Amino acid sequence: MLEHLGRTIQEERLPAPDYGALAEKFRSIVGSEGVSAGGADRLATCRDYWPMGTLWFLEGKAPALPDLVVWPRSSSEVAAVLKLAAENNIPVTPYGEGSGALGGAVPLQGGIALDMKRMNRVLKLDRDNLMVTVEPGLNGSRYEEYLNRHGYTGGHFPQSLRCSTVGGWVACRAAGTFSTRYGKIEDMVVSLEAVLPDGKVIRGRKLPRTSTGPRVDHLFIGSEGTLGVITAITLRIWPYPEKRIYCSYTFETIERALEAIRRLVQAGARPAVVRLYDPAETAHHFPDCEAAAGRVILVLLFEGDAGIIAAEEQLAAKLAREEGGLAAGPEPVEHWLETRFNVGLASKLFRQGAVVDTIEVSTNWTNAAPLYHAMQKAILAVEGTALASGHYSHVYPEGAALYLTLVGFPAGDKREYYRRLWGAAMESCLSLGGAISHHHGVGLHRGLWMAQEHGKALEALRMIKEALDPQGIMNPGKLGLGEVKKWPE
Amino acid sequence: MAGINRELLLDCAICPNMCRCECPVDREFGREAVSPSGKARLAHLLLEGHLDWDGDLLEAISSCLGCRGCRLLCPFPELDLCEELLLARTEARPAGMILPAAVPYLNNLKKFGSPYGARPAALASPGSQNPEVLYFINCTSQANHPRSQQIILELLEAAGVSYRVLDQYCCGYPAQIWGDMELARQLAAENSARAAQSGAQLLLTDCPECWHTFTARYPEWGSELSLPVVDTATFFLGLVRQGRLEPGPLGEIGTVAYHDPCIWARVAEICAAPRELMQSIPGLELREAQPAGRETRCCGGGAMFQLTFPEQSAGIARRRLEEMPPAAALVTSCPFCRENLQAGGGKVLDLAELLGLAVLR
Repeated sequence: MLEHLGRTIQEERLPAPDYGALAEKFRSIVGSEGVSAGGADRLATCRDYWPMGTLWFLEGKAPALPDLVVWPRSSSEVAAVLKLAAENNIPVTPYGEGSGALGGAVPLQGGIALDMKRMNRVLKLDRDNLMVTVEPGLNGSRYEEYLNRHGYTGGHFPQSLRCSTVGGWVACRAAGTFSTRYGKIEDMVVSLEAVLPDGKVIRGRKLPRTSTGPRVDHLFIGSEGTLGVITAITLRIWPYPEKRIYCSYTFETIERALEAIRRLVQAGARPAVVRLYDPAETAHHFPDCEAAAGRVILVLLFEGDAGIIAAEEQLAAKLAREEGGLAAGPEPVEHWLETRFNVGLASKLFRQGAVVDTIEVSTNWTNAAPLYHAMQKAILAVEGTALASGHYSHVYPEGAALYLTLVGFPAGDKREYYRRLWGAAMESCLSLGGAISHHHGVGLHRGLWMAQEHGKALEALRMIKEALDPQGIMNPGKLGLGEVKKWPE
Repeated sequence: MAGINRELLLDCAICPNMCRCECPVDREFGREAVSPSGKARLAHLLLEGHLDWDGDLLEAISSCLGCRGCRLLCPFPELDLCEELLLARTEARPAGMILPAAVPYLNNLKKFGSPYGARPAALASPGSQNPEVLYFINCTSQANHPRSQQIILELLEAAGVSYRVLDQYCCGYPAQIWGDMELARQLAAENSARAAQSGAQLLLTDCPECWHTFTARYPEWGSELSLPVVDTATFFLGLVRQGRLEPGPLGEIGTVAYHDPCIWARVAEICAAPRELMQSIPGLELREAQPAGRETRCCGGGAMFQLTFPEQSAGIARRRLEEMPPAAALVTSCPFCRENLQAGGGKVLDLAELLGLAVLR
């Protein structure tokens, strides 16, 4: 069925194993319902939300297919699966809900797609210590729903909340839109359980902090399936917020607005949501906000203790005023809350022949505005680009994340255009000292710039990878850790 | 028939599955292939000729309850993915390709006019000429809970409503979901003709799938019913409001939890009537599920899942039961929900049965 759609890239792992015989061995571990060699399952796990994968799909291609899909239900099953995979030199690509934006879930060398979605239980709610332990395949929205039902929040709201897993958040070192108050996923993770490629299970201690050498379990935060498989996660949780305050301000320039945000966060305020939109995104997202016409808009959402957030709001109002900001009321925040998960336009644009993507980077305050202008200019210079708009979110005392949305209608080969687009964006970011990713991770595509990002530190990371996974079976070709001899085409 | 909207289907296929957290199938199966966008992707590849139909793909795109949970969060307001998938597997698949699990039930449907096999003798029906109500018995409660139909007739009699029982066949929905459109149309034409002959003022049904089939599909199949179709909750509530039915207090049942069937809640948008009807029973406390109303979650019984995917159907029912509050009885208003939730454990009553306990003392 799949032969004319594509093929599994097996050249790097010849001779190809006998997957028919291996399937039986895997069934003996996870049961007959836990293994599939069916076309529907293999196709479904051949890609994620990486735009290159979308372009393959639109062309009716599937250039990198897993040979088997395996669904474990426990860490002991994961351990047995990895052990068997290692014995047979089979690549293993963990799969969550496929919302990754960089091709991290593409099974580059075939092998096993390890679908974690049947490990989706809440294992323990620890009310006394404000922690919850969950399995990695738990859907994000269901996770938050569970916590809300018990009077808590997880504080993690990525745009992919409804279509990503808790394990996926940890694996790609994610950040949610409420991160300025609650932190990023690495701030939320207390401890992890993970299975190493040889089948050993490691468990971090569920303690607030330790000073006993590097936390080995925390090494798996951002590991993107290259070091092993995360099988349980203990996270910090918060009481469901007592109160929320919405406010927004418009400014004449991005620079003045950034200065207001910098002063606010450096003064110690921690709004949950901080989003500053450039002129194009202000006009696109808030067309009904008259106060924003011809200006840029800053959206703030405070939540938590009523007294604390009232003081934070007062400070925000004062600083905004001092930077020439005009109050625009709570409506833009309500509008953002209502529309924040709407990604429908991307589908429409792709269907009409566009190439659409987003790129998120981070920078210090000193370069926050110059980086935006430089990256926008570099991206627009790529022939075929129609739009490069941006917003800042996730702010820190040291700087902020910049999130760019790109739309192109290239005349020629779309995939070639996509490569040029990313090349221009990444080179521009690196030249101004920005970090090439803030929260989408590396996956397959960003691996191209990992050496420039990390310098010698990447070699150290490779040594760690080789020590834990000497055969290189875990998600090969990702995170810039291994040479990609053959790119899926 | 409007036909498949390939552009909307493709929009869904490109989407990163923003609705998947509301898809009971996605949660129960844990298979990417049966996630909402996963099914749309396979359907797109099949429709565009990139893939050849086979049993594996048919099973994947048949793994849809038709519950419209995906619509709650869909970024495409015009898209009804459940309907597009239904069209894809009825219109586009090769003739004769049938989900293996559905074969015996489809054979029953052809032979007996019910997926469950030989139909019991028709209920005694008064020979009223031009009755107020024509009662359509659904196959599922006929096969599993015949007492509930008798209670409906007793309620009609108690209210002094003239009625007849339609000597009918299955509404045709199972034939459609299993891909036999010829049979679906035959059943529709036969039912429509018999309903017209009755001279009744309205057709009464206690099955949301039958209601949906009559109101949305029969016109598309050229068999539009000549009389309006009314659900039992709305109809009996009208009788209570008119004073034609007088519910009294229930003895043992002081609290009920109500499960909104997906089609009533999201397609027919009938959420208030069953609640008002239950609240008309003196002393009865109604407790809400989480989520409830339009945001209800499927019991696992949609699209005849109990028959074709029994294990997963039961698993979905168990999950839904976890969302129900403690109560003396669980009440619903759909024969599939009643059957499936009951199989998952607990006392489950059809809404008409509850009303019967309050009225027919």
